[in-house]
Amino acid sequence: MSHGEEAHLDDRITLDADGGALFRGFAIAGVAGLGGAALLGMSDTAKLQRAYLVAFMYVLSVALGALWFVAIQHLTNAKWSVAVRRVAEILASNMLLVAALSLGVVVPMLAGSSDLYVWLDRARVEQDHILHHKAAYLNIQFFMVRWFLYFGFWIWLGRRFFKLSVQQDKEGGAEISSSLQRISAPSMIVYALTLTFCAFDLIMSLDAMWYSTMFGVYYFAGCVLAGYSTLGLALMWVQSKGRLSQSVNEEHYHDIGKMMFAFIIFWAYVGFSQFMLIWYGDIPEETHWFHWRFEGDWKVVSGLLLGAHFVVPFFGLMSRHVKRNKRSLAFWAVWILAVHYLDLFWLVYPNGSGDVPFGAVDILCWIGVLGIFGAGAIWRAQKVNLIPTGDPRLADSLAFENV
Amino acid sequence: MAAVGDLQEWQRESGAADAPAEPKDYRAWQTESRGDNPFARITDTVIRIVETPKPPRAWYIALTISLCWVACFLVAVSHLVWNGIGIWGNNNPVGWAWDIVNFVFWVGIGHAGTLISAILFLLRQQWRTVINRAAEAMTIFAVICALMFPALHIGRPWLPYWMLPIPNQMDMWPQFRSPLDWDVFAVSTYFTVSLVFWFMGLVPDLASIRDRADTTGRRLIYGILALGWRGSARQWHRYERAYLILAALSTPLVLSVHSVVSFDFATAQLPGWHTTIFPPYFVAGAIFSGFAMVNTLLIPARQFFGLKGLIEMRHLEQMNKIILATGTMVGYSYAMEFFIAWYGASPYEQFTFINRAFGPYAWAYWTMVSCNVIFPQLFWFRKVRTNIAAMMVLCVLVNVGMWFERFVIIATSISRDFLPSAWGYYVPTKWDFITFLGTFGIFFTLFLLFCRFLPMIATAEVKAIHPAAHGH
Amino acid sequence: MTDSSENIPVVKEPEQVHGLLAEYETPQQLISAARQVRDAGYSRWDSYSPFPVHGLDPAMGIRPTVLPWIVFVAGLCGGTFALFFQWWTSTTDYPWIVSGKPFFSIPANIPITFELTVLSAALTCFTSMLLLNRLPLPAHPLDRIRRFARVTDDRFFILIQASDPKFDARETAELLARTGPRGAVETVMEDTHSSATLPRGVVFGLLIVGSAAIVPFALTTLARVSTSTSTRFHIIPDMDWQQKFKAQRQNSFFADQRAMRLDVPGTVAQGELQDDDHYYHGKVNGSFAKTFPPQVEISDQTMARGQERFGIYCTPCHGDDGSGQGMVHLRAKSLMQGTWVPPADLRQDTLRYKSVGELFDGISRGVRNMPGYARQVDVADRWAIVLYLRALQHAQGARIEDIPESERKGLE
Repeated sequence: MSHGEEAHLDDRITLDADGGALFRGFAIAGVAGLGGAALLGMSDTAKLQRAYLVAFMYVLSVALGALWFVAIQHLTNAKWSVAVRRVAEILASNMLLVAALSLGVVVPMLAGSSDLYVWLDRARVEQDHILHHKAAYLNIQFFMVRWFLYFGFWIWLGRRFFKLSVQQDKEGGAEISSSLQRISAPSMIVYALTLTFCAFDLIMSLDAMWYSTMFGVYYFAGCVLAGYSTLGLALMWVQSKGRLSQSVNEEHYHDIGKMMFAFIIFWAYVGFSQFMLIWYGDIPEETHWFHWRFEGDWKVVSGLLLGAHFVVPFFGLMSRHVKRNKRSLAFWAVWILAVHYLDLFWLVYPNGSGDVPFGAVDILCWIGVLGIFGAGAIWRAQKVNLIPTGDPRLADSLAFENV
Repeated sequence: MAAVGDLQEWQRESGAADAPAEPKDYRAWQTESRGDNPFARITDTVIRIVETPKPPRAWYIALTISLCWVACFLVAVSHLVWNGIGIWGNNNPVGWAWDIVNFVFWVGIGHAGTLISAILFLLRQQWRTVINRAAEAMTIFAVICALMFPALHIGRPWLPYWMLPIPNQMDMWPQFRSPLDWDVFAVSTYFTVSLVFWFMGLVPDLASIRDRADTTGRRLIYGILALGWRGSARQWHRYERAYLILAALSTPLVLSVHSVVSFDFATAQLPGWHTTIFPPYFVAGAIFSGFAMVNTLLIPARQFFGLKGLIEMRHLEQMNKIILATGTMVGYSYAMEFFIAWYGASPYEQFTFINRAFGPYAWAYWTMVSCNVIFPQLFWFRKVRTNIAAMMVLCVLVNVGMWFERFVIIATSISRDFLPSAWGYYVPTKWDFITFLGTFGIFFTLFLLFCRFLPMIATAEVKAIHPAAHGH
Repeated sequence: MTDSSENIPVVKEPEQVHGLLAEYETPQQLISAARQVRDAGYSRWDSYSPFPVHGLDPAMGIRPTVLPWIVFVAGLCGGTFALFFQWWTSTTDYPWIVSGKPFFSIPANIPITFELTVLSAALTCFTSMLLLNRLPLPAHPLDRIRRFARVTDDRFFILIQASDPKFDARETAELLARTGPRGAVETVMEDTHSSATLPRGVVFGLLIVGSAAIVPFALTTLARVSTSTSTRFHIIPDMDWQQKFKAQRQNSFFADQRAMRLDVPGTVAQGELQDDDHYYHGKVNGSFAKTFPPQVEISDQTMARGQERFGIYCTPCHGDDGSGQGMVHLRAKSLMQGTWVPPADLRQDTLRYKSVGELFDGISRGVRNMPGYARQVDVADRWAIVLYLRALQHAQGARIEDIPESERKGLE
C-alpha cells in the first residue's frame, strides 16, 4: 500500500530510562499499598483475603486480556494491530509476576483458612451433602494441580509470544510470525479452558452451592475489556513520553475503541443472559446468588453496575469521534477500568448480609497489586523495542486506515 | 451539431464507431472495447450468468429434483392442514419434536449470511466480498424455511398473525413476557433486516444488469429493482454509511436471534434446557452450521457457473477455519454443560446428561458429538481444508450433526419428565420426513432461482477491494 | 469551431443543456479530476463510479451525511415505544399473570425492546438512505448518453451541471478537458422526451387496482361495526361443529325428533339410591325421627366432626355459641340493612325441643331465609352437626347440676 511510504519508522521506539519515574511510582505504590493493606487488615483477615482476591482477579484479568489480544491477533493474522502488539505482549509476558501475586490467595488456602472458600472446611464438607459431592473437584490437592496448570500455561504462552516477537526484531522474516500463528490456534482452546476453570475455582466456588455454565464467559468479557483499556492507556502513556508518536495514530486508537465498545455490549449480553435465565427459571439453588446482590445496599451496587458498566459507556463510546480522540478514549478507558473493579467486587463480596463492606483495605490491596504489576510491566518495557520492528506486516499496520 | 460530431469522433477513437446501434450488439461492443480492464472482467464474469440464455444442464437437473421435493412438501402440508398435526410423530410428552428441531436448524443455517456480511465486514475481512451475496441469499431462504415450522406446528397455519400485536375485538394482546413471543419478534426482525441488507447490496449490481440489458423486459424489471441507481459519488457516500450502520445493527441482531431461540429452552426449568451458556452456545452452533451450508452450496455453484476465478480456494479455506473455530466453541459448551451438570449436584441434571450419552437416544447423541466435535477436527490439516471433496463431506456432516444437536436437546429432555410415569419415546412418521425434506426442496429451489436470476457475487464490493481500485 | 481545444464541444442552446460530462478510465484519474473540479469552486457537480472509490469523498469535498443521527433517533424511538407498549399492554390494558412474574418485568421485556430498536433503526436507515439520495429516480438526462451505461461496469465520470452558478460552457469544458478525460467532454442535454408525469393508462390502472384493494378492508370494517343475525363464516370449521348431539338439538333418528332422551323408567344412578328415609331424610314413617339413625355413631369423633363442620358452615350467621350473633349478622346490623332477617337463636326453646329429624331436615332443606345445605354438606356430616347442635343447646341452657362434680368447683 502506498500509504506505507508516508508513515515511517523514524520514531523513537525504545523507552530507555524514561519510564523510571513511573516505575518508581508504581513500585512504591505497590509496596506501600500491600504493606498498608497488611497492617490495616491484620485485625480482620477474612476481610483482607476478600479484598486481596478482588485485587488479584483484577490484575489477572488485565494480564489475561492482554494475552488474549496477542493470541487473537496472531490467530487471525491481523495487520492493523502489529504497531500496538508489543505493548500487549509486554503486559501478557508479566504472567510470572501475576503468579507470584496469586500466592496471596493460595497461601492462606494452603494454610487451611476457609474464610473465603467454604469447601476448604473439612468438617462442613463431611456434613453437607452437596459439598461432599463436589469434594472430588473442590479439594485443595486437585486445586493446586489446576493452579499449576493454569499459571504454567499462561506463563509459557505469554513468554513465548514475547520472546519470539523480540527475537523477530533482530532476525526478521515471516517464519516466526507463522510459527506464532500456528501455536495460537490450539493455545486458544487451552486458554478458554484454563480461564473458565480458574474463574470457577477462584470466584464461582466462593459460593460453593451456586453454578452457572456461563460464568467463565462472563469473566472473560471483563478480561478483554480490562486488556483493551489498559493497552490503550499504556500506549497513550508511551506516546506522552515521545515514543511511537508517529507509528501509533488515531486509526489504531479507533480500533481499540471499537473493541472496547463491542465488548461493553458483549459483557452486557453475557451478563443479561446469565441474569435473565436465572431470574426467569427461578430455581432456588441459582436465584439466591442474585438475591444476595439485590439485598440491602447491594441493590445500589447492582444498579450502579448496570448503569456504569453498560448504559453510560455504551452511549459514551458510540461515536466515532470519541474513539478517534485520544483524550476522550483515555477517559473511557479509565472509566472501564474503574467499573471493571466494581464488577469484580460485586462478584466476590456479597454473602447475603446486605452490607457493602468497601473500605480502605480494598483500595490499598488494589493499589498494591496494580502497582507491582505496573512496575513489572515498565521494567520489562524498558528493555525492548516498543514496536515489533521485525514483523513483516508492520508496514501495513503503520499505513492502515479505517474506512 | 458540434456536440454530436464530437460524440461520433469519440466513438471512432474508441473503436466503437462501427458498432451498430442495435442494443443486441451493444454488449459485444462493450466486450471488445473493454480490453483487460479488471473491473469489466468482474462484471462480466458475474452478470453473464444472469444474461446467458441457457444455464448449465446441472442447473436444470437440480431444479427438477428440488421442485419434486417442493411438490412433496405441498402434499405433506395439505395432508397436515386437513388432518391436523396428529399425522406427525409428536406425542405426549414429546410435544416439541421435529417441527421445532427443524425450526431451530433452519434459523441456525440462516445465521451465516448476516454474519459474513455484517461481522466480517466490521472486522475488515475482505475475503468475505466474494461470498457474502450468496450467503445472504441463503440466509433469507433458510429463514423462510424456518418460519414455516412454527406456523405448521400450531396446527392452524393461517393464524400466526395472532402472535402479532394487532388490536382486535377480543381486546387481547400477545404475552410479551413469553420467550415464544420474543421469538416471533426476533426471527421476523431478523428476516426483515436481512432482506433489506441484502436488497441494498443488490441495488448497484441490479443497475449493472439494467445497463447491460439487451431485452426490454430485462431492462424494465431490473431497472425498476435498481431504483435508478447511477453510481453517483454523493449517493455512494450515504450508501456506504448506511451499509456500515446496517452492519453495526445486524451484528448484535444476529447474535440476538439465536440467543432468543435459546431462551425458548433455557428459561424453562427442564433439566438439560435450563443452562446459562445456551445463548452464546446456540449462536456459535448457528454460525457453525450456517458456514457449513454456505460451503455446501458454493462448492457446486462455483463449479457450474464458472466462478472459480472469483471464489478461490483461499476463500473456502477461510470458511473452513471459521467452521473449525465455531465447532470448537460448540465443543467447549458441551464440556461446560457436562461439567456443570455434575458440579451443580442436581440429580435431575445429572440424570439428563447421563441419559443423553447412554440412554435410548444415545445413538443421536453420539452422531451429534462425532459430526460436530470429532470430524471437524480434520480441518486442522491444511490438506483437508483445501480439498474440495473432503470439505464437502465434512460440511454435510456438520449440518447433520447440528440437526442432531437440536434433536438431542429437545427429544432427550422432554421425553424424560420428572416422573418416570410420564416418560415417552419419540418416533417420527413418514410425514415428518417428507415435511422436513420438503423444506430442503424449497430452500434449494429458491437458491437455484437466485443463482440464475440475480448476481451471485457483489461485484461493486469485489471491485472496491481489487488492487486496481487503490494503487494511487 | 472557435475553440482552441478540439475536445471542447460547442453548445448552441444553453437552456437545454443539463451539464458537461467527462469520462475517466481509472479511479485514480477520477480522484485527481475531482480535486481539480472541487478547487475550481463548483458546487452542483457529481462523480459517478461503479463502486465507492476510496478517497473520493475528501477529493470532492463531500461533508459527512446526517444519516447516522437519523438512525440513532429512530432507534431510540423504536426502543422507547417498544418498552412503553409492553408496559401498557401488560400492566394496564391486558394484565395477566405469567409464571409468577410481575406485570411489568423489565428483564422479560428486554428482548422485544432490543429487536424493535434494531428493526426501526434498520428500516429508517434504508429508507433515509433512499430519500436522502432522492431514489428511486426513474429517469435522468445521463440515461441518454450511450457511454454512460458503463458507469455500473468499469468507467468513471464527472458531470458538472449547467445550473451551477460558476458554470460557463467554455470555461467548464476547458476545465474538464484539462483533467485528462477519455475521449471528448460531452454535452448532456436536458431530457425533453420523457414526461414528468405518469402515462394516463398507468394512472387509471393504479387507481382501479387501488380502489379494488380497499374493498376487502372496507367490508371487514363494515362487518366489525355492524351487527348481524346470521352466523359467522367458517372457512375452517375448527372445533365449532363436533360429532355429537347437544341438549335441545333436533335428531331425526327418534320419532319425537329430540336429541335429548328420557331415562328408561326405573333407572337409578349408581350410588344415589336413597331409600333409607331415616338416614337420608330424617323421617320415620312420614314424621320426623326422634332418634339418630343407626348409621350415625354417637361418639366423641362424630361430635368433633360436627363441631368442625358447624364452625365452617353455621357460625358465620349463628355464631360460635349458636346465639344468632355471627359475623354476617353483626356486619348486616352495622350496615343497618332493612331487609336483613336476623338468624335464629339456636338456643331458643322451640328449637331445643325440636326432634333431631326436624333439625336435620332444616339443615338439609333450609328454613325461611336460610338456604339448604344438602349440596355443601354430605349426609353424615349433617347428622354430625345435628349431634353437635344438640350438645350445644344442652350446654348453653345447662344448670349447675348438669356439670360433673369435679368441675363445679372451678366455676364457683
